[in-house]
Amino acid sequence: MDEFTITEKKQDGLAIIYLNGFLDAHTSNVLEKKFEELLALKSFKIVVNFSGLTYISSAGLGVFMAYIETMRSNEGDIKLCSMSDKIFNIFDMLGFPVLFNITKDENEAITKFTESV
Amino acid sequence: MKKKDKIVISSSTKNLHLVREFIEKKGESLNIEPNTLNQILVSVDEACTNIIKHNYKYDENNEIEVETDTKDKKFIITLFYKGEEFDPTKKNNPDMKEYFAKFKVGGLGIPLMKKSMDSIEFNHTQPDLNSLTLIKVI
Repeated sequence: MDEFTITEKKQDGLAIIYLNGFLDAHTSNVLEKKFEELLALKSFKIVVNFSGLTYISSAGLGVFMAYIETMRSNEGDIKLCSMSDKIFNIFDMLGFPVLFNITKDENEAITKFTESV
Repeated sequence: MKKKDKIVISSSTKNLHLVREFIEKKGESLNIEPNTLNQILVSVDEACTNIIKHNYKYDENNEIEVETDTKDKKFIITLFYKGEEFDPTKKNNPDMKEYFAKFKVGGLGIPLMKKSMDSIEFNHTQPDLNSLTLIKVI
């Protein structure tokens, strides 16, 4: 099994990325590269689907912090969805829901983008 | 289950998942509920990541020994490692309101490590040998 992989689809002008495996100090650079790719394509509206993610540490949280400001200043956002309880718990421990939009499912995250247009 | 057990890894982030798998097996055999066990995994992971980064500067020719034990309804994980005497328990947690307002990056490993456990003890036991003990009441 791969340690960490990302798949992607484009829908309604959004990039929806699906995280699979574990996100730690060893694998977080894969996510960083994906955000760099999206930036290069001026794809600033991003939904991140966590349904296939089994684990996250601060290295993973750091990647979202590193890109949220840039996406928002380009009229985009990084919206997070479909987290398991244990993953949400890690985001919640440090108060990330204050800054990030975290929704239960993907459709809700997509709707939030269309609502804000 | 053997009361005490241990795993030794070379200091590379590619081995973090081995430590997590080791701790996870121990935790499951102690019937620790999944959310609590995940917090323990994060805490041990953050501690190892900091050691790999700061004590060993990503040089893989070093080792971290991770020992598990149980005592009085406590799951006790102790890391033994060399290098700089740095006590993470003395580092203050960042003000998260300011952290988010300024879109800061990094520095969340130690806060996460501390928030995930009930107590943490650092010891500089011998010349050039440190131990960090992470304790969770179960």
